[in-house]
Amino acid sequence: MTIEILYPELCNLYGDLSNIEYLARSTQAEVISTSLKETPRFPTQDVALVYMGTTTERGQELVRDAFAPHLEALRRRTDAGGVTLVTGNAMEIFGEYIELDGGERLPMLGFLPIHSTRRLLKRYNSLYLGQFGDLKIVGYKSQFGHSWGDVGEGLFTTLRGAGLNPDVKPEGVRIRNFMATYLIGPLTVLNPLFAKELLRLMGVTDPKLLFEEEAMDAYRARLEEYSDPKRHFTY
Amino acid sequence: MGTKEKPRGFTRVRFMLALWAAKLSVPVLKLTRHNGTNFPGELAMKICPDFLRYVARPGKIITVTGTDGKTSVVNLLCDMLDNAGQKVLSNRLGSNVNSGVATSLITGCTVFNRARFPLAVLEVDERSSGKIYPWVMPDLTVITNLFRDSIMRNGHPEYIAGVLTDNMPPETKLLLNGDDLICAGVAPSNDRSYFGLERMATDGTACLNRINDLRICPHCAGKLRYEFVRYHHIGRAMCLDCGFRSPDCDYSGGDVDTAAMTMTVRDAGGEGTYRLLSDSVFNIYNELTAIAVFRELGYDHPAILKLMDGLKIAESRYRADRAGQVEVVMHLAKDRNALACSRVFDYVASCPGEKELILMMNNLNDDKNWSENTCWLYDCDFEFLNTPSVTHIIVTGPRAKDYRLRLLMAGVPAERIDCVREELMSVDKLRLVPDSHIYILYGTDTMNLKLAAQVREAAIRKAEEAVK
Repeated sequence: MTIEILYPELCNLYGDLSNIEYLARSTQAEVISTSLKETPRFPTQDVALVYMGTTTERGQELVRDAFAPHLEALRRRTDAGGVTLVTGNAMEIFGEYIELDGGERLPMLGFLPIHSTRRLLKRYNSLYLGQFGDLKIVGYKSQFGHSWGDVGEGLFTTLRGAGLNPDVKPEGVRIRNFMATYLIGPLTVLNPLFAKELLRLMGVTDPKLLFEEEAMDAYRARLEEYSDPKRHFTY
Repeated sequence: MGTKEKPRGFTRVRFMLALWAAKLSVPVLKLTRHNGTNFPGELAMKICPDFLRYVARPGKIITVTGTDGKTSVVNLLCDMLDNAGQKVLSNRLGSNVNSGVATSLITGCTVFNRARFPLAVLEVDERSSGKIYPWVMPDLTVITNLFRDSIMRNGHPEYIAGVLTDNMPPETKLLLNGDDLICAGVAPSNDRSYFGLERMATDGTACLNRINDLRICPHCAGKLRYEFVRYHHIGRAMCLDCGFRSPDCDYSGGDVDTAAMTMTVRDAGGEGTYRLLSDSVFNIYNELTAIAVFRELGYDHPAILKLMDGLKIAESRYRADRAGQVEVVMHLAKDRNALACSRVFDYVASCPGEKELILMMNNLNDDKNWSENTCWLYDCDFEFLNTPSVTHIIVTGPRAKDYRLRLLMAGVPAERIDCVREELMSVDKLRLVPDSHIYILYGTDTMNLKLAAQVREAAIRKAEEAVK
């Protein structure tokens, strides 16, 4: 099984790459790192998961330009049910545009029916509690903007914290097995049940995780903490 | 730098009221034992939001900013200026945000708003620079380095570099770390000098850390080749595509000898061999930075050497006590800061002898108000602790289970890890092997500081009882 990380030299903020480290070490998957000036492998090779993590604002533009020639390949992959995971502000790269502080619109890839804002003086920080099917999801948000658009049910349904923006419940976007979320950092490590679901989608039968017991222990503790109505959610 | 704009009409009345009210608050705070706070500055800015624009500026202002080392560099500069008999205004006992800087400037002027000091050395929080630099207009700004810091406040170093660039007055001269290409790129139109350390024996050619925030060329996005890497993105690099490279350093520290504790600093005006104040690379950078500032001020090497006589780097973040058959060490490991903790882990792991660690860098203030964002654990090099000399690690506090999982992911064998929720109970798990070292790694928030002191006392008690 192969996992491809797109542009890890740029899309690596907030411990995001631990998502793949955890999945790969749990399954002995081969990890291919594709840099900005290389051609992605997923259009021509059997890749179980394509991953892109959080990046800088300049990184968003560099990645947009580098990935644009491969957008059609991503559409084909998504139509065929291929699994892709995009975390943090990398989701915005796949939207229609980012509205900057001065109102200027920065065109993005247009793959997702969303547009985003970037407010560099107003960083949004919060905890997150949501639902993915029957699974509860815990996580973190730390971002310079939000997104808007008709994303149906999104990737997660928000129970506490902000969805795609603070006024809506759907969080992230899901098109078949293309999954994008604003949640940052070690999402799969914090959510072992979600990690296993992801592995199932990638074709792993009866997945087992590295240090599963300890990961579940930490997950249960966090879930209890975040479910406490007295717990504040924003920084 | 030129003189400041003078307030007129109603603005002048409001400004003077603000200045007087703030000045009046200083003795009141002293009487009520609340000195050292930002209150005077906060009060002044509440009455006159443009206060920093009009308050008198000392003849020359040096500001020190950056992710790490600000406080140490400011302390060194102030001590050296003190040795030189210079009257200097600073915020070393106050805070480095706009109200802290305002408080210092209030102290530094008369009731008629006339500057009382020829020189100010001010520490400036990099994230607050937009509220400070355009009004304070420093003559010289030192940037020590730019790394990842708090995810919530600072985002990422490129963002902080942008904030500094956007707010730096064009007339301000910059003194930058030439070994840090993110730092070296700040405010490219400003006049600048660079300092840096030549290649050291411990440097490599590949980054071994989880964080390296400069893997591609800042100009053409081509791949960077590092001539040497010290840690993270610190080192000297060049772009294989466009030829962009690390700048030549105007002040270059070389021949660093941590056995003899010496370093030679070379520049266009000559060279001087200095006694190292500390053997940690971070502090060697801090010392070099202070020397470079004095060269910028026109002091020659022999004069600087004299000013450094008897100087010490405050070790308030480190305390070692002998107790029974072990040594108990308290070491600050800045919580929520992956890079600072990585440096501490690297240092502790490389210290001689067998070590037991209590990891308690939880941010208890976050735990009280929301819940700590633990993403930084996966940016941090816990892998340094996966070494035979670290024989036992006790993780404790609200995030103990997260630490345990992270240590396991770093390859630390499960039998070396104990997980204890209550900090004070962690001491019960200490194995106290004779001649070993117990490191208590604690965070910066006040609740954690108090608790760490209690854990230290309990560890010392237990170690002493063990030999009775």
